[in-house]
Amino acid sequence: MEDYDVRSAASILASVKEQEARFEQLTRALEEERRNVNLQLERANLPPNPPTSQPLPWQQVVMQEQSPSNATSLAMMQEPQEVVEETVTIEEDPGTPTSHVSVVTSDDGTTRRTETKGISANVKVTKMVKTVTTRTVRQVPLGPDGLPLPEGTSPLGSYTDSIDRRYLKNGSDRFITPQATSTLTRSYNNSYNDSYGETPESQYIRHYGLHDGYADLTDNYGSLSRGVNYRPPRYPYMPNSYRPENSYTLPIRKDDYGHVAQPQVPMGSSTVDLNRSQPERFQPEPYGLEDDRRSLGPEEEEPYELEPDYSTANRRTLPGANRGRTHREPLRDGPRVRGYPDDPIEAELIDERHPYIHGMYSAPLAQPERGSMASLDRMGGRRSPSIDSIRKDPRWRDPDLPEVIAMLGHPIDPVKSNAAAYLQHLCYENDKIKKDVRQLKGIPVLVGLLDHPKSEVHRKACGALRNISYGKDNDNKVAIKNCDGIPALIRLLRKTNDMEVRELITGTLWNLSSYEPLKMVIINHGLQTLTNEVIIPHSGWEHEPNEDSKPRDAEWTTVFKNTSGCLRNVSSDGAEARRRLRECEGLVDALLHALQSAVGKKDMDNKSVENCVCIMRNLSYHVHKEVPGAEKYQDPSALQAPGSAGPQRKKKDDAGCFGGKKAKEEWFNQGRKNCENDKSYDTLDLPKRTEPSKGFELLYQPEVVRLYLSLLTESQNYNTLEAAAGALQNLSAGQWTWSSYIRATVRKEKGLPILVELLRSDSDKVVRAVAIALRNLSIDRRNKDLIGSYAMRDLVSNLPSGQQRPAKNLEEDTVVAILNTIHEIVTDSSENARSLIQAQAIEKLVAINRTSQSARETKAASHVLQTVWSYKELRNALTKDGWNKSHFQPTVTATPKATKNGKPGYDDTTLPLMEKNQDGYSTIDQRDKDCKYKTGDGSVDLTEREPLKNDTNRKHYIRSNRPAVSLVDACDVKPQPVDSWV
Amino acid sequence: MSFVPGQPVTAVVERIEIQKLRQGENLILGFSIGGGIDQDPGQNPFSEDKSDKGIYVTRISPKGPADLAGLKIGDKIMQVNGWDMTMVTHDQAHKKLTKKKEDVVRLLVTRKSLEEAVKQSKGSYPKH
Repeated sequence: MEDYDVRSAASILASVKEQEARFEQLTRALEEERRNVNLQLERANLPPNPPTSQPLPWQQVVMQEQSPSNATSLAMMQEPQEVVEETVTIEEDPGTPTSHVSVVTSDDGTTRRTETKGISANVKVTKMVKTVTTRTVRQVPLGPDGLPLPEGTSPLGSYTDSIDRRYLKNGSDRFITPQATSTLTRSYNNSYNDSYGETPESQYIRHYGLHDGYADLTDNYGSLSRGVNYRPPRYPYMPNSYRPENSYTLPIRKDDYGHVAQPQVPMGSSTVDLNRSQPERFQPEPYGLEDDRRSLGPEEEEPYELEPDYSTANRRTLPGANRGRTHREPLRDGPRVRGYPDDPIEAELIDERHPYIHGMYSAPLAQPERGSMASLDRMGGRRSPSIDSIRKDPRWRDPDLPEVIAMLGHPIDPVKSNAAAYLQHLCYENDKIKKDVRQLKGIPVLVGLLDHPKSEVHRKACGALRNISYGKDNDNKVAIKNCDGIPALIRLLRKTNDMEVRELITGTLWNLSSYEPLKMVIINHGLQTLTNEVIIPHSGWEHEPNEDSKPRDAEWTTVFKNTSGCLRNVSSDGAEARRRLRECEGLVDALLHALQSAVGKKDMDNKSVENCVCIMRNLSYHVHKEVPGAEKYQDPSALQAPGSAGPQRKKKDDAGCFGGKKAKEEWFNQGRKNCENDKSYDTLDLPKRTEPSKGFELLYQPEVVRLYLSLLTESQNYNTLEAAAGALQNLSAGQWTWSSYIRATVRKEKGLPILVELLRSDSDKVVRAVAIALRNLSIDRRNKDLIGSYAMRDLVSNLPSGQQRPAKNLEEDTVVAILNTIHEIVTDSSENARSLIQAQAIEKLVAINRTSQSARETKAASHVLQTVWSYKELRNALTKDGWNKSHFQPTVTATPKATKNGKPGYDDTTLPLMEKNQDGYSTIDQRDKDCKYKTGDGSVDLTEREPLKNDTNRKHYIRSNRPAVSLVDACDVKPQPVDSWV
Repeated sequence: MSFVPGQPVTAVVERIEIQKLRQGENLILGFSIGGGIDQDPGQNPFSEDKSDKGIYVTRISPKGPADLAGLKIGDKIMQVNGWDMTMVTHDQAHKKLTKKKEDVVRLLVTRKSLEEAVKQSKGSYPKH
């Protein structure tokens, strides 16, 4: 609890910087007196007791103002030997023409100075500064439990000190610049004495500058832990002023620094407690920030995403400490609860305090933490021991929601921030409260606070907005948008360097981006900012790479993850959204760089990579139609009249010979009838590039093929696999030159075996994406032959039927996709049809055709069967196996109109109509829908899908490339696990 | 449970008898295997010891013969009809399992849950 005071003191001091000199003087004068301070005197001070039921062992001075209009904040400075507390009350206008300063020295060694400045009735600034001098530190011996006083030079001292120090440093660093790491570490190592080597003032001042009222929080934490440690020894051994001071906490103080209540927790002197002392850590817990954060991205395996960002020693320790709320609470309350019964004095104090609780306007807020706990309890949420203790005091009351929202507009900043923090806590996983906040018009107020200059205020407001924006209730999201919350968030993102705030902002945007109607709004307001502020810097990409500097790797920070998740969502909003993203300067370049860096580091199972690949996939969709200048690259053959589809395709396929016919390839080509008539693509060079491609051009350069294939080979994340396969699918669709290159490049890069292998994936959607990609790839004739020869078995094995039914139960969509791929492969290739028969597919196809419950499956299967039957040269073999024509006819009235060439009609939804000259397959469209669906609810529902995640991360054991090996020109694939049916 | 060459293998095993199903010319057991001394053991998701090169059951056809006989995904196959399976190549295992002239295979398998069950019951070994 001392921590609280310290924090507040620090913050206040900062604002009262100019007066510090005077205080010093006062302090000195009081030196003597301070030694004489004893318990009784302190008790006398008790009146302004904290609403808390717990006695607080800190030295603090409380300033309170009785009238609600007056805001009071306490600032306390704590030195080992002296305590200076300052309370400043500021009413509306800080402009101060007149000021009255009064200094009061009380018996207890406390000096108070009251400064009142008044401009008008409404504008009034009241500052009260109280200096308390105590000789606590050195005098405190070991506690009964063997705990030495933290403050003194006692063994614990170093421990505590380092905490404080660290905390302070941490606080200041964090606010000053995001890269505070080094400082933090340093401070961590500092001993207690060192930390006090600096004058308290200087430390406090620094804090002030950084974050006004809020610096207090940080400071308080450090001191809190100290205070906690004191406690046990204090009662028995310290009859002096120190104790009394501690025991009474100003109600106001508490109000302002509700979270401070936490400091009580760190009773034990374990690392965990140390961590506690961190402000960031600390807050999340009570307010459920952490968890909520987690909810942002279901994938967060690590409870604390923050940590990676701040590679601080403290941070690292946090995870353990923070992990479970349940875990923590016991710690926090344990000591307190224990303390009460044992301590008559404390009990007394509590009693005395009660009267004060009621008088306070802000009483409810005073104990934000407890209050929140209690309220949670009330609301049927979790409860903790602390609640019980709170409840012992019937006079304690939590603020109700309208009150909290009203406090958001309170003139005093700490009240605002506490109210926002409390709101955030209340909203955590509570849709009802979110709705209530919305209906009570709390959202516009919170959005308004985003522009607040004080970091603590906009941070808390942002936290509350993030929790509110999370969930299925899209009205909350709309409400944020309607009061211009999105531009406000973006503005704040541009302004702040605070990593935590940036995480909150991007997290909120991620949440918002899951709602379709908001996607374009986010693009309009934030795309370039998000790209410039987050994506580019964190991706490691540089516009103009410095010759000397090594290329930087991407940093998988939470901010990057959140932002990429947000962009992933908005990238699915249709052609216009895709255009905007493609043309957003540096975005594609940075994403590619990030992915390449992921591949380079073999670190590609994380969520950020998944997000990036998904964006790339979405942006690759319809590139051949949507990219500026795409017409230039259209494949002329594609522009021919429909009906000539057959021949066209052959020509195209020849294009597949791109890259020259190597001897090995030749082997595959034997007997290809169309091999002669091709003007091969060997002669057709890639479109000339005068300069390195950049921006959206990078999307479809053949170079990306290798990237996607690496991801397909290495990643264990199903979503990433699906997206990478989807990207190849998108790129290989269409009739423009680039897609021909892509198709050929996939083959040359030995991508076919990789894809075929993934047909055995346990993940339905991976199988589907791969199947469709294979279908698009088989537009290339050579690919078609290879796939027909070597992928058929795997394709067929994914089909349901009989005993060999695959273990995985594939969805209808997937089965249809596979059937359509098979159809594509056997079309125009009796060789492939023969492979199909040899793969024992007929039995399955007939079974599907006859018995499947799904009309689409039935239809797709019957198309394949008809095509197979159309090869007269195969009928002999088929009849030998016991099949006859009836097996190959559509069973139901599905009546595929068999077209000329014996080509059956297509199932429109999934089958592409090559004849239409469309770039491709309508499947892609569908796929896109699919993407949208997935990405759309992705961000939000990700959480709900958490269970899937594990699945996703499972290793693909079931990969084998035995058959696939031969798909490549050079069969040098290294052995992989084989998996064979018996 | 990994196998150390030269060391006796101690394992809690279950005997499973599978009646092959005749499907056309093929005899079907209805499961698939992975592993073998010629395979990369690191990629075996089922083994506890990632250097274990044993033969593992990777997939089971629902309602297939293996399924009906009680074979489970992740089971490690110790023996097939008396033949050791802990030190064989993938293909050797495959051959032993797919002999055309045998209609029945008797497997000795071990799985984690078995070991645990035994541990819990402290010494009361399951049949066999």
